[in-house]
Amino acid sequence: MDIRENLAQIGEELRKELACTDALQALEALRVKVLGKKGSLTALLRGMSQLSPEERPKAGQIINEAREKLTALLDDKQKELALKAKEARLQAEAIDVTEPRDVPAIGAEHPMNLVLSEVLDCFTSMGFSVVEGPEIELDLYNFELLNVPKNHPARDAQDTFYIDDNVVLRSQTSPVQARTMLSHKPPIRIVCPGRVFRADEVDATHSPVFHQIEGLVIDRDVTMADLKGTLDAFAKRLYGQDIEVRFRPSFFPFTEPSAEVDLTCFNCHGKGCRVCKGTGWIEVLGCGMVNPKVLEMCGIDSSVYSGFAFGIGVERITMLRYGIRDMRLLYEGDMRFLKQFRR
Amino acid sequence: MKVSMKWLKQYADIPVTPAEYESRMVMTGTGVEGTAPLAPELEGVVVGRVLTCRDHENSDHLHVCTVDVGEGEPLQIVCGAPNVREGILVPVAKIGARLPGGVTIKKGKLRGVESQGMLCSGPEIGVPVELYPSVGTAGLLIFKEDYPLGADVKPIFGLDDTVVDFEILANRPDCLSVWGVARETAVAMGTELMMPRISVKEAGGDIRDYAQVEVRESELCPRYAARVVKNVRIGDSPAWLRQYLFAAGMRSINNIVDITNFVMLETGHPMHAFDLDKVRGRHIIVRKAEQGEKLTTLDGKEYALNSTDLMICDQEGPTGLAGIMGGEESEITENTREVLFECASFDRASIRITARALGIRTESSGRFERGVSPATVMDALNRACQMVNELDAGDVVSGVIDLYPKPLAPVTLTVSCARMARRAGVDIAPEEMEEILRKLLFQVKRNGDEMIVTAPAFRQDIEQEADICEEVLRYAGYDRIPVTHLRGETPMGGLNDTGRREAAIRGQLTGMGFYETMTFSFISAKSIQQLGLPADDPRNHPITIRNPLGEDTACMRTTLLPGALKTVAANIKNGNDSGRIYELGTIYDGQAKTAEGLPVETHELVMAMWGQADFYAIRGAVEALCRQAGIAYHIAACDEPYLHPGRRAALTAKDGQVLAVLGEMHPDTAERLDLTGRVYVAKVCLPLFFEMTQPMGEVKPIARFPAVNRDLALVMPESQQVGPLMDAIRFGCGPMLEDIRMFDVFRGIQIGPGNKSVAFSLTLRAADHTLTEEEISRLTEKALKISKDQFGAVLRA
Repeated sequence: MDIRENLAQIGEELRKELACTDALQALEALRVKVLGKKGSLTALLRGMSQLSPEERPKAGQIINEAREKLTALLDDKQKELALKAKEARLQAEAIDVTEPRDVPAIGAEHPMNLVLSEVLDCFTSMGFSVVEGPEIELDLYNFELLNVPKNHPARDAQDTFYIDDNVVLRSQTSPVQARTMLSHKPPIRIVCPGRVFRADEVDATHSPVFHQIEGLVIDRDVTMADLKGTLDAFAKRLYGQDIEVRFRPSFFPFTEPSAEVDLTCFNCHGKGCRVCKGTGWIEVLGCGMVNPKVLEMCGIDSSVYSGFAFGIGVERITMLRYGIRDMRLLYEGDMRFLKQFRR
Repeated sequence: MKVSMKWLKQYADIPVTPAEYESRMVMTGTGVEGTAPLAPELEGVVVGRVLTCRDHENSDHLHVCTVDVGEGEPLQIVCGAPNVREGILVPVAKIGARLPGGVTIKKGKLRGVESQGMLCSGPEIGVPVELYPSVGTAGLLIFKEDYPLGADVKPIFGLDDTVVDFEILANRPDCLSVWGVARETAVAMGTELMMPRISVKEAGGDIRDYAQVEVRESELCPRYAARVVKNVRIGDSPAWLRQYLFAAGMRSINNIVDITNFVMLETGHPMHAFDLDKVRGRHIIVRKAEQGEKLTTLDGKEYALNSTDLMICDQEGPTGLAGIMGGEESEITENTREVLFECASFDRASIRITARALGIRTESSGRFERGVSPATVMDALNRACQMVNELDAGDVVSGVIDLYPKPLAPVTLTVSCARMARRAGVDIAPEEMEEILRKLLFQVKRNGDEMIVTAPAFRQDIEQEADICEEVLRYAGYDRIPVTHLRGETPMGGLNDTGRREAAIRGQLTGMGFYETMTFSFISAKSIQQLGLPADDPRNHPITIRNPLGEDTACMRTTLLPGALKTVAANIKNGNDSGRIYELGTIYDGQAKTAEGLPVETHELVMAMWGQADFYAIRGAVEALCRQAGIAYHIAACDEPYLHPGRRAALTAKDGQVLAVLGEMHPDTAERLDLTGRVYVAKVCLPLFFEMTQPMGEVKPIARFPAVNRDLALVMPESQQVGPLMDAIRFGCGPMLEDIRMFDVFRGIQIGPGNKSVAFSLTLRAADHTLTEEEISRLTEKALKISKDQFGAVLRA
């Protein structure tokens, strides 16, 4: 038989068999059957020895060309089958991606610390240092140096817990300011966060233990406008650029002039709502220019230096921030409450 | 402080709405809690005349009346009052009228007879007998005077008034008075201040013939002034006076007592009226009480006095608590013939201490505690006498007793306008400053920038330039303060070291699933005893508060454990089955003191887990914190008594100091604390933790030579602890043992009772070469030898 015919027949058979092969193993067997040592094409090559030397090169060329073609056929089929097998595997491996599984449990800081760290970030970025002081404090620092002498009615306004005649649970964080003024020379730029105590029974808006953050700036030519500017920056950073600061005259023994500070209600943006009781403003803190008498008592020359101070109730701003209606929630540690918080 | 708007408007006009008035006052420094109609719930009640009155057919007490209310047909009204009769003039609540208490009158039938309204008693329309006297509380209020039929009844009782509730700042006791708020109102409104001209018509005689006053405590009573009224004609006050008092929340008593209250409300000076016949010896002595002396006050209560209490006495004994309340003995009665009016100034602290000690708080004591200026006493006293003239309540005896040995000099300050403007940060012209101060009744002499300012006598809060600055600024307007930014040297801000480290710990605990809690700094003595600590443990001896709110909050916490455990117990009780919490807070040493003599305060961290938790979970969390801080620690069993004796451990530093104790709660302690289920706690000593914390140093190069892993399963007695075994192997094998990990513990009959099989994985590596087979087997042999010799642990067969 003519080589060409043989080759055509081999090709024809291979095509037929490839068409009904769908496994890699069967494909491999087919490859051996055609191209292997005992394969049909290999047999043809062997048969060339019977040809005349003139015919051989020609026949060799024909057979090799055919071999390349057949190899290509087999390779293509192999690629096709490999792809199919991979697709089948991937399909088989599919999972229900919506099935619930354990999620790593991440906790949260206390809401007051979440708010406090925002506040501290704000003031430290304006160059304020964070200073702390003792919670059990000398009457001297808690009252006297702050212009609240013994038997002053202002002491009634903040019913104080006493350890003995001279030692109190601090009723404000201001003693830290007095201590700082006594130990540091101006310029002073500090914030003092901390726990304070007043003899109030526990209810939705009162607690005998609560937290304040106070700020103090002492330098030459510090003005009430600087105070407003500092608090304006604080308010905008915490609550948004549209928040305005409003000062109202007030009284604190520690400052003169003094002001209560209202911020644009961050719930309704000044339109009036439940949170601000329809006024558009929320009372957030008290502040003022440090009373020159306090500066003098704390060893700072009030003819050279002036300063301002402000005090923020941490519970209050936390309750406002998260819409908490009952202060007791902050101290009960109920997981159903705590789990709602995230940074 | 509640003030009648009508009263206030006598002295300063208020040509704006209540809301606008409120806002202007608040923005100029006079707090207003609110303004409200005096009788907001009374609506649609008019004057009517009973034309006819017949008995109700189906009732033994009801009457059927026809009532003329000045419009249309007379109304048919069924009335049950015993005093109803033809011809009387009464308040009539028409259909749709509203009465105090939320009552709305509807058309109805009473025993079959239609009733088109209601005839009213005083209490039904919110008119107490002292507001409209000589009307019995039983039955209808019957008008004594003639009023047009159909007229609204509110103006008749002065109930058409508005009440302003002022919230006066602590430094402005002068504003605890109608005059005080009127002065502020006039400036805030830009209206004229119309103060009354005070003049007294004297009836002759000489006060010295009537009474004598002796002040033995002039420090506590810097001024005592008195006047006498003879031929006293006790009677009811006129309607306007009763109405002003009613609006202020006070009851009308009689003309003399009402005058003292009126003057107090108007001027801010508390006054007292004595029945002079009952002042024994007609001799007033202001002195301290003798210890144990007794006094029965106006309200009928008897008090035993302390030797520090300042008293108003007569020749025989106390007859009043100075500045707080008068005595029953010298009370004004309908038989009083002669009255001594007292107007004085008492020491704030003294009044405060006595009032607190005796538990009495009156309008009078409240004002004296806040401060009453001695300088303006005489105005108030004369105002009272002027009222006696006006009300024809008696004849004022000529002369005054005025003991005022050290008259207060007016406060005069020299201030700089430029300096004040700079302090305020507002550009206020000197002319404007001067004008504001004059309106506030300061005397001002200005010479360019310099002003010499004299405060009015009623102002006791003016001491320095800063005070003048505030006066100017609050009327120039706080809204004028611009927004400027701090100048000058900007200091480096930031958290302190402790703050930074604690923030890191909080972050790590958050990542490990812990929620932060905060509890009070107070604990009860019992809650610390429940931990069962040894008697001499300092935590058993907390600092106690002298005036605690209660037993549960009487001590300062010496550890955060009681608070944390209470939180856990509450959570379990509330059905929160599982949780992880921590608190990082201050504890107070009961014994150690600082150089200043204050208790030593330190920070502690307490963690707790329950539900999905076990011993190793809480230990792991604490270990993770230590590793993050670069702290080398050692784990060993401990003897913390509130922890399970077989499940408690301490993490110690190299020198043996205890960094943390942790474990499962002892079942006995848990039971005492209502902790159901197993609860795990850890307590970390933060000062030591921070002391041991190592800053992160240089990184190590990544190893270049391969590691070899060898697994060993060792059978050892249960009594042997794995930790020390691993420590010994680490120590014995040296640096070529890169790591040893325990990966399994097996117990079962195959290895015999009382034994455990523990599987370890050893990672061996040298920094400078590939380990040889010989080195590897030498290291494993060494590990096995240590295990066998020191711990009786043998290779599992």
